Amino acid sequence: MAPDQTGTATLTEDQVLARIRATLAEQKVPGAESASLDATWSELDVDSLDLVELVKTLEDEFGVTIHDEELKPIASVGDAVTLVLRLDVERASA
Amino acid sequence: MSAPDGGCALVTGGTRGIGAAVADALRERGWNVATLSRNGGDLQADVSDPEAVEAAFVETRERFGPVHVLVNNAGQRRDGLAIRMSAEDWGSVVDTNLSGAFHCTRRALDDMLSARWGRIVNVSSIVAERANPGQANYAASKAGLLALTRTVAREMARKGVTCNAVLPGVIETDMTADLAEGLVGAVPAGRVGQPADVAACVAFLCSEEAAYVNGAMLAVDGGLAA
Repeated sequence: MAPDQTGTATLTEDQVLARIRATLAEQKVPGAESASLDATWSELDVDSLDLVELVKTLEDEFGVTIHDEELKPIASVGDAVTLVLRLDVERASA
Repeated sequence: MSAPDGGCALVTGGTRGIGAAVADALRERGWNVATLSRNGGDLQADVSDPEAVEAAFVETRERFGPVHVLVNNAGQRRDGLAIRMSAEDWGSVVDTNLSGAFHCTRRALDDMLSARWGRIVNVSSIVAERANPGQANYAASKAGLLALTRTVAREMARKGVTCNAVLPGVIETDMTADLAEGLVGAVPAGRVGQPADVAACVAFLCSEEAAYVNGAMLAVDGGLAA
């Protein structure tokens, strides 16, 4: 979907989760399609380069900017979903 | 997987010598080629300036498409014995030859990661592995390029991106006009090389056929380092 231009946060957890799963699947991460919110990068065998690619995809698709310092504590699929939803709200209220 | 459509090949220092020959060779193989240099070329930037590189890549994407092939060829020489070499002459050569390649590589990898396909070729030099008195700065920068090459090759291999280096020996260009004649006797092939000799190797490393060649150091020197 195109980034929202109207100043309203519109993303849902399901949307972001679906995109993360799809990106991980494109990266041939085993079990990506059914990855739960609790699944950690370590459990999924997602390395730092995979994470860079995932961040790029999320930035391009959802119109958010993810800085390195925000990325450091992100250790699971759920952490990433929460971060994108928070950035979406911040972008809309900016 | 083959090269995705719509991308371009960016050749730094692509207006003269080896760079111009590489640009020609890639055009002959069907690439949409953009040349970058400080003066002239399709895009103007000093590769040692990261902000100028960033701007040049934005312009490249707009005019030529995402960068799927990068040839880091921009380089300079400021020869002198180490004992007399100024900090400025050291820094200027390292900034252009090594840091410049890094700045361009970092930006190109964004496009290549998105495409899950990319070819980077760094134009090093035979002096990276065989001392040539008077070129401490140049040799160090070119040796650094080899380490950069190997590291990027390992980092990006899973994503369809390769990074290799060519090590030209004595090649007949403006940049070596003062050197070539005196060195030819040391070249087993008995002649200096031509820019096209190097360009053919670079073009191969940029091809689909070279997909499994990664982190390689290809000497193009008529046997000089053998």
